[in-house]
Amino acid sequence: MTVKNGYYKEKKPLKRIKEHCRNFTAFLFSNVGIIILVVFYTIGGAFMFREIEVSQSEHTMKHFGERNVKKIAKRLWTETVINVLNEKDFKTRINATLTDFQTTLFKSHLAGVGVNITQQWSFSGAFLYSLTVITTIGYGNISPKSIWGKLVTILYAIIGMPLFLLYLSNIGDILAKSFKWIYAKVFLCRICPGVTKRRIMREHLKIKAMALELMDLDDYSIDEELNLEMENLDIQKDSSTVTVPITVSLTIIIGYILFGAFLFHRWEDWDMLNGSYFCFISLSSIGFGDIVPGDKVINGTNGDEMELSFILCAIYLLLGMALIAMCFNLMQEQVIHEIRKMKLFFKRCCTCATCR
Amino acid sequence: MNKQKSIYDFEDSLSSASNPQRKINKCCRNFVAFMCTQVGVGALIVVYAICGALSFVAIETQYQDDSIELVHNLRRNCSTELWIKTESLNLFNRSVWESETNEILRSYQNNITSLIRKGYTGRTAQENWSFPAALMFCLSVFTMIGYGNMVPRTPWGKGFTVIYATFGIPLYILYFLNMGKVLANSFKFLYRVMHNCTDDSPVSPLQKKKVIVPSTACLWVIFIYILTGTVMFANWEDWTYLNSIYFCITSLCKIGFGDFVPGANLVLLASNAKDEKKRNFYEMQSQTKLAINFIYMLVGMGLVAMCYNLMREEVRVKWMEMREDLKLCLEDVRKRFDRWFGDSSSDDFYYDQRF
Repeated sequence: MTVKNGYYKEKKPLKRIKEHCRNFTAFLFSNVGIIILVVFYTIGGAFMFREIEVSQSEHTMKHFGERNVKKIAKRLWTETVINVLNEKDFKTRINATLTDFQTTLFKSHLAGVGVNITQQWSFSGAFLYSLTVITTIGYGNISPKSIWGKLVTILYAIIGMPLFLLYLSNIGDILAKSFKWIYAKVFLCRICPGVTKRRIMREHLKIKAMALELMDLDDYSIDEELNLEMENLDIQKDSSTVTVPITVSLTIIIGYILFGAFLFHRWEDWDMLNGSYFCFISLSSIGFGDIVPGDKVINGTNGDEMELSFILCAIYLLLGMALIAMCFNLMQEQVIHEIRKMKLFFKRCCTCATCR
Repeated sequence: MNKQKSIYDFEDSLSSASNPQRKINKCCRNFVAFMCTQVGVGALIVVYAICGALSFVAIETQYQDDSIELVHNLRRNCSTELWIKTESLNLFNRSVWESETNEILRSYQNNITSLIRKGYTGRTAQENWSFPAALMFCLSVFTMIGYGNMVPRTPWGKGFTVIYATFGIPLYILYFLNMGKVLANSFKFLYRVMHNCTDDSPVSPLQKKKVIVPSTACLWVIFIYILTGTVMFANWEDWTYLNSIYFCITSLCKIGFGDFVPGANLVLLASNAKDEKKRNFYEMQSQTKLAINFIYMLVGMGLVAMCYNLMREEVRVKWMEMREDLKLCLEDVRKRFDRWFGDSSSDDFYYDQRF
């Protein structure tokens, strides 16, 4: 017996350390690991897409605009040589030529010619692109033009989307848990024992009064019963059973969107409506792409400064998606709670009706 | 258990037979449940899309698009400039004339390109927001695809988009889950029937229920669906097969870049802008394409949901099996490890536990 006891005592700290280690690795793998994995996957994608797009499309589309202009100028010369005496005739012919020119411009814009490809597929641009692929936002302001780019995008999306979903569900869960804990401790004042005690006392009194009204029992027995119940209640009402009201979650989402609108208002000179519209469209993973941060980078003015806005947008999106997942988690819990309550209420109503 | 249940059933049928009102109630309840869960959600989403399309058409056609006027003015200015240049320079020196013209054309090109980037398509808002196009837009909003080939330009349109998405997305998710369940059940039923038909060996009724649809079957279904879409769109739109498959996959994955959208071929529309008859023809064709694309997307999403539903089940089963295996394996390794390298105390412990 003594040997056995000694053995256990010896083993205990080792076991504890082992347990801690296991918990830590589990945490690393499930939570920190997945964040790192998502970030690295995105960065890897960024490098890959950049390589593919820049190498594939540089030689084909260089100086396209310049050539176009020269071609049109030659055509204009032939048109001009035919007749320079009649202004009206000249203008109609020139107008027709210009309309054609416009159409070719439009086509070339759709084919992605007019922009500087190395600038468009800068590292941060490609990073944002890979992020929009795996989050299924898909702005479409930057899209692959080469064959390999398209193929790789398909594969990248098929692997990346489940990964991102895993990230969302994991992080959403953790954030929801920690938020609930904070909410329970801080906002409901579970930290300070005085408030809790007073609340419990109040409930206690209320229930007692109700019970006294309903049944003619002596005070003593009710008191005893209630005390038991109260203890149970006290134990139950820790952070795990507290549900965060829907309004709080909604406020968080709206606050985050407004914060983003303000941020982009400062960075991109959008007005508040456009900013919040952009944030909403992005966070709901719709992603029209009509308003996109860093448009100035693509248009070719002060590139270095605006390069940051891509990264800023990417961080905003990663955080925002996790936050939205958290809010959905909380809201779902609350809705289920409410529905259960309502069901109980209805059931009680029904039984009462049948009793009478 | 079974006997009890049958007794309950019997009682139930007795009571319902004796009470026609209850029977009607039950019928009603079942009907309402069916409507709400299966048909209802599908119908609701279509109605929601139609309502949204109508309101977006009403809102967005009020947008005064001055870019067309602007482009017209630009062109007129350019031609006048060219005329003035030609008058002043004469036609004797071609190289000087060409360099001057190049300058003018380049500025014109820059102006037009910036306008295109701001969203000029050469079409008025009324032409852009036809009813099928608006329907497609609504679909792209609440399914979170977001092609972005059509976007609201008015502040009211933007605000309404936000509200529309807030209510539409949960509705769509409901549709997604419901459709997934229904399709998964029917697919499972079909698979089971086929499995039982082809399998001649007698099966006990207990074993019958344990047929799990393999994930390869789901993948085949999705693959065939995507292939159908690829061939269909490639033939209609004259896309290459790669582009077509790229469109199908990015759409069904809800990414939706919007560089390829069926029925919204702006190049075709732009090049046929002058010819009224041809244009009308293309307009009509593109509208039917949009409508078919709408159906393709809605059904495709349902199929994806089905596959998600079925695969999740299988993945869960596989995952459990793997975990169990791993646990056993670990236990085995640990025991062996203990036996081989364990010191005397652990040996003691081992034997203690055993005996």
